[in-house]
Amino acid sequence: MNGKPLIAMHDISKVYHAGEVSVHALTKIEITIEKGEFVAIVGQSGSGKTTLLDILGCLGQPTEGEYWLDGQNVGLLSDEDLTTIRNQKIGFVFQIFHLLSRKTALENVQLPLQYAGLSLAEQRKGATEMLKRVGLDDRMLHFPTQLSGGQQQRVAIARALVNEPAILLADEPTGNLDSRTGQEVMAMFGQLHQDGQTIILITHDQSVAQAAKRRIVLSDGQVVSDEAIDASSPSKETAGQP
Amino acid sequence: MIVQSIVIDALKNLKSNLLRTGLTMLGVIIGVAAVIAMIAIVEGGQVWLVKSIERLGTNLLFVWKKSLTLEEQRKFAGRSTGLRYGDALAVRERFPDVVAIPMIELDQQLKAGDREFSGEVTGTWPEYQEVRNFRAEHGRFLIQSDLTEWKRVVVLGKEVAEKLFGSGSPLDREVKIGDQRFTVVGVMRPKGTVYGTNYDEMVFIPATTAIRRFQGKDTLRRIVVHVPDREEMERVTQQLHSLLVQRHDGVDDVRVRNQGDFLNAVDRTIWTFRIVLGGVAVVALLVGGIGIMNIMLVTVTERTKEIGLRKAIGARRRDIMLQFLVESVTISVIGGFLGILAGIGAAYGFGGLVAQSMPGGGDWGAVIQPSAILIAFSFAVFIGVFFGLYPAVKASKLDPAEALRYQ
Repeated sequence: MNGKPLIAMHDISKVYHAGEVSVHALTKIEITIEKGEFVAIVGQSGSGKTTLLDILGCLGQPTEGEYWLDGQNVGLLSDEDLTTIRNQKIGFVFQIFHLLSRKTALENVQLPLQYAGLSLAEQRKGATEMLKRVGLDDRMLHFPTQLSGGQQQRVAIARALVNEPAILLADEPTGNLDSRTGQEVMAMFGQLHQDGQTIILITHDQSVAQAAKRRIVLSDGQVVSDEAIDASSPSKETAGQP
Repeated sequence: MIVQSIVIDALKNLKSNLLRTGLTMLGVIIGVAAVIAMIAIVEGGQVWLVKSIERLGTNLLFVWKKSLTLEEQRKFAGRSTGLRYGDALAVRERFPDVVAIPMIELDQQLKAGDREFSGEVTGTWPEYQEVRNFRAEHGRFLIQSDLTEWKRVVVLGKEVAEKLFGSGSPLDREVKIGDQRFTVVGVMRPKGTVYGTNYDEMVFIPATTAIRRFQGKDTLRRIVVHVPDREEMERVTQQLHSLLVQRHDGVDDVRVRNQGDFLNAVDRTIWTFRIVLGGVAVVALLVGGIGIMNIMLVTVTERTKEIGLRKAIGARRRDIMLQFLVESVTISVIGGFLGILAGIGAAYGFGGLVAQSMPGGGDWGAVIQPSAILIAFSFAVFIGVFFGLYPAVKASKLDPAEALRYQ
């Protein structure tokens, strides 16, 4: 690998305080991810993967440890700088799409460009291009309720990518989709990876994780395994499933 | 972030829940309308009162007997007999530059054939018509020879003439006042009601006739003095007062007032109204503001996920704050605008009602000043900002990770 890694987490711990009780959500996480990787972070609920997603996505700060993102020490950044990083370097895709229902597909995709301070014309141009890329050029003026689940998730992916982020951070992106649509979305992720996009996929579903090239397994807030996925030999958990 | 997009977003959100937005806006509309209508009505009342006072005639002094305390009455017993006909003559003699007239008022029954009129009969001098700028329309007013011969002649107000004689001419006809026969020599021109007095119901007879034939004594209700030179008002007031005290054997039992005193009294009254009504209107507007805050807090809670998403994709605190602030200000601006219209409508409606129902209110009208509109509108916008600020700040401080997963 050349130069510094895109993501470097050292000794990351996160403790939540709920009254008298302290919950150790993450304990001494060490993760390094290079530019262009397609990584799946897998874990059951309660494994700490949501907390890890928040820290990776700069939605929250760790209690301890260092998080370097694209050469910046995120732990030292202010709330405002974190917002800028989320806008510029991270594209989020969520399980429940999180599209704004009163806005059209085009307007939803425009939103990150709007917060980046682009003019209306530039927003339109960027969002239109991105919607074409995800194959929704004939659905741009539709509202989310007029779109199928798969189409909504593609709008969300377009919104995530419109600012050309360093990382595409997907949280259970197929969780609300039927298996066929889910496979389509995963195929799209595969294509994006081919094009050089760094993707971090967070899921509890081993079969979904199978689309990635590397799997990090979390359990009880700790990394229990971190290995490359050999596409030719499916993991034991999903073998035999459609 | 572009302001235009924020405003469009705000309008879309407000439109998506029209009933709620409308009800919230209603609070602002009522508040602003109340402020504007209250100011317009109070200002209208003031203009009307000042006009009424000025229409009493200009540069007038009013002299009447002051009521004495029991102690004063005992102390001055037998020394002063109050305001007398002789006082009016003395004022005329002592101040050649002013015009003074005595006013005697008698409650009497008037009869012409089988028609009757009960009212006040005024005994005065010919100069009355100059002093009060109120003249005869038909025939003539009182003249000097009526006085010296204490003639039984009468000048009728327009309404009295109509009541007693219908459409026919009353001139030279006979009217019985009490049990005495009078001849109608004139009818006054219509003047209407000014400051509570209906001039068209007045009946004039010579002051001497009133004293000799009715009162039996020469006590006056008051003396009205017209001072042609406004600058002299103060001096005349003082000298008039000391002259009368001197004539009354040193007893200070007269009061001399000018219109300025009345105007000041009106001013004080109007200020009381301003404060009370203005206070009520401001409270209405504050209640409207609380309505805004309430609904904005609900909106923030409802849209927690949206706030989380917006923050996740790059909305800064100030973007979120601005978004919700623009929404509350939009409610108050639109509400303020509609409130202006409602307020103007209410003020004119109320003005029309007063003009129709209040005696002498015919020329009453609401006075809407641009400054009142500006004040009410700015206050509404301020309310929108003030009461929208807390919900907006609350929204802007939400933790993005928690907000995204808010159920």
